[in-house]
Formats: sequence, C-alpha cells, structure tokens
Amino acid sequence: METYGILPMIRCENVHKRFGRLEVLRGVTFDVARGEVVVVAGPSGSGKSTLLRCINHLEKVNQGRIYVDGHPVGYREVKGKFVERGEREVARMRASIGMVFQRFNLFPHLTALGNVVDAPIHVRKMGRREAQEAGRAMLAKVGLGDKVDAYPAQLSGGQQQRVAIARALAMEPKVMLFDEPTSALDPELVGEVLEVMKSLAREGMTMIVVTHEMGFAREVADRAMLMDEGVIIEEGPPAQFFSNPRHERTKLFLSKIL
Amino acid sequence: MLSIALPSLDFDPHVVWRFLFNAVILEGAQRTIVVAVLAQALGVGMGIASALMRMSKNPLLNIPANFYVWFFRGTPLLIQLLFWYNGLPQLFDNPDITRELTSFRVAVFGLGVNEGAYMTEIVRAGIESVEAGQMDAAKSLGMTYAKAMRRVILPQALRVIVPPTGNEFIAMLKNSSLCFAIGLVELTNASRSIYSVNFKFMELLAVASIWYLGMTTVFSVFQAEVEARLAVGMRERPPTLFGRMTEAFGAARTRLR
Repeated sequence: METYGILPMIRCENVHKRFGRLEVLRGVTFDVARGEVVVVAGPSGSGKSTLLRCINHLEKVNQGRIYVDGHPVGYREVKGKFVERGEREVARMRASIGMVFQRFNLFPHLTALGNVVDAPIHVRKMGRREAQEAGRAMLAKVGLGDKVDAYPAQLSGGQQQRVAIARALAMEPKVMLFDEPTSALDPELVGEVLEVMKSLAREGMTMIVVTHEMGFAREVADRAMLMDEGVIIEEGPPAQFFSNPRHERTKLFLSKIL
Repeated sequence: MLSIALPSLDFDPHVVWRFLFNAVILEGAQRTIVVAVLAQALGVGMGIASALMRMSKNPLLNIPANFYVWFFRGTPLLIQLLFWYNGLPQLFDNPDITRELTSFRVAVFGLGVNEGAYMTEIVRAGIESVEAGQMDAAKSLGMTYAKAMRRVILPQALRVIVPPTGNEFIAMLKNSSLCFAIGLVELTNASRSIYSVNFKFMELLAVASIWYLGMTTVFSVFQAEVEARLAVGMRERPPTLFGRMTEAFGAARTRLR
C-alpha cells in the first residue's frame, strides 16, 4: 500500500453508526495526524468504543467515511462509488491497525509468547523462529521478558494488558487504538500499563486512547476530545481542555471524574 | 447345619471364558470399534460443519443445517439405517449402487450422519461458550473469520466440546449394535450368531457385555487424559495420566519405606 505523507493518519468524516433504533454515532468528524496521540473521554454510552471499533471495521458504519493512511476503511473507491471490500482485504487492513481492549482478550490457550507470535506467523506468514525472536523482544519491551512461557491465567491484569499491547505491536501497526485499556485493572496495576503506553507515544506511534486517565492525557496527549451522545462536544490541547473547557458539558464531565 | 437351597442357575462361567477370546467375537469387537471410531469421526466433522452453518446469518446455510438437525434427531436411528441400507437400493433400483451399499459402509455413514446432528448442538454450544471478545481480538490482528475459528475459537471451544463428545462416543460404541439390522457382524451380532447355535444366551450376552465394558473403560481413561491436556492455560489444571502415574508411583515408594 502506498502512503500519503501529508494526509492525516486517521480521518473520520461524518461517521454515523446505528444499532437498530439507537444511533450511537451521530456525525463524528476529526483527523489524527501522523504520530499524534488523541485521548477520547466521555460518559459511558457516548459512543467512544463504537468509534474505535468502526475505525478497524469491527463495526460497519452506516454513513460517512473513515480513512486510515489515506485508504477508506472497509471500502474501496471505484469510480467515485464506495464498494465494500472482501473479507480478506478487510482482514489485511486490520492487520496494520492495532487494537487493545478493555478486557485484554488474550487467547487463554496460548502462552504470552504464543499470543504475541500467533498473528505474525499465521497472518503475516513470518517464519516461526524470526517471529519468536521478535516476540521475545516485544515482551521484553513491555517489561515481561521473564513471562514468555506464562499462560494468561497465570498473569496479573496489568501483565495481561501489557501482553495484549505487545501482541498488537508485533503486527507492526501504523496506528494503535486503545479501548479503555486500564479500566478493568486494579488501581495499583494501572501505572505499569500507562508507562508502556507513554513510551509508545514517545516513539511516535499514532494513537487514539479512550480513557478516563486524565493524568495520562495531560502528560502525553497532543489533543483531548470529549464525546457525548455520539458527537464530539469539545476538543483541544489537553492544557486548555482540562483547565479551561469551553463547554458546560465538558466542565460537568470533568468535575465528575477529576 | 445351614442348608439354604441355592436356586440352581444355568450359567456356566467356563463357557464365558471359552468364548471371550473366540475368533468370531474378537472380529465382532474389532468391527464395533472400527465402525464406532469412523462414524464418530464423520459425526464430529459433520457436526462442526453444520454448527458453523447453523450459526451463519445466511439462510442458504442455516436453513439446511437446521433441517439436518431436525430430521436426523427426530427420526429413529434404526429407521435411518434401514433407509440407507434397504430404502436407497429400492429407490434407485440400480445394481451398481446397491453393490456399493455394503453393511459396513452404510453402518459408518448412517451412524455418522445421525451423530452429526447431535454433534451440531454440542459444537454450537462449545463455540458459543467462547467470549465474543476473542473473535474481536483475532479479527483485530488481521485474521479472517475462518482463520479466527481455526486458531482461536475452536481450540477454546474444544474444552466444552470434548466431555459431551466422550459421552456420544460411548453411546456410539453401544448404538452400533443396531447395525445387526443391516447385517453387520459387530460384537452384539457376533455373540448372537453363536448363541443362536449353542443356546448359551446368558453366557454370550455376558461375553459381549464384558467387551463393551472393557472398551468404555479404556476410552474413559483416554478421555480423561485428553481433557487434562486440553486444560492447558487453566488455573486448575487436572493432572495428566503420566502425572498421576508418577505421583502414584512416588506415593507407593514412600509407603514402602
């Protein structure tokens, strides 16, 4: 795939998503530049998770377009019309979009290393030896070099989430999507996961992070956004977003979580 | 002196012993095992295929699968076997086809197709027991639906699928005796063929039962082993056969000391 250096890494244009009668996304438009870290906050049910799931086509949008690295997600432009891509093409596209879930979703029947190398070997068709070497390095990077042979059930929540991050990174994604990565963790385990995410941000990874960890947002985000009822209410640099929000709803929300 | 008159039972254990390893019995027992294993394998294959079809949103896939389960669970196995063995030859009235429909083939096919209907529900329950997040994670790593099923969902579903499948196989070993109706000389039919000559009904029924019990016992041990191995990654992992043996051996040694 060719890349378009000037284009944003992620572009959402007027994205709408309905589940039956319920309209979860009601026209979301925003760009994420290359290497930018965007934090999305908002009350539960505001559509944050759905937005992330639309970006890698786990959910199909009902209206609007999403582009990742200049390519329309899940669709192909043929003579100005959008045609849904075949399953294989969608899968190939997802391979370069990393996603980290609230509940980790590690594969319980595989070891930490098995979780990390499975997709490189079976999706990227990387050689087993090469993948394992890279996988070990990736686990060492998230601080779990000594846990390669542990099964998820033998790891703490924080360790599991770090394996999940390593698993996503092993596919060498262009973008990382984090869906409330620390909200299922015990408070004392949150820090170790945020540390991994911070170092990832410093390395220049393009990231969208749905989180209520406002300390993290202040420290590493280039931009913070508030979503409510399926639309973006406010966005801006974290300093302004937190200390001087313009909208009443942002103020109200921040007063509840800070 | 106690003199309680025991009723004189007409049962000769020597006859049991004599026929336990009789060539006809052994051949029948072997055939029972072969038919049951092949039929169960076919049933598992059909069950997986039909469960995936049944779970599909596409009516071209789920309607035939639903019909399959409805029909083969809803009619007696004996009728199904007779249908394949006697019904089809009449239907086609073609000696070439009739010749191909041997009792052995019909037994494997008929039992397997019937089993597939039951396995459909077992496999479906197994797949549905795996958290939806697993499919999301697999897809987000670039796996297609088929690859995610193979690499992520089915290996986890197996843990739920194996125990009831073991039950099914034990039932299969015994249900294969229905194939006497299509002329298959399996274990039950073999013993019947002998007692219809020597009239030692009880003894030969005992012979067959001993073999059935032997088969199910050996299989139960095997099943426990498979379950222990599948529990990889579980917090409470049951010991494997090897583990239990070394443990028992160790315990015996300490006791002897």
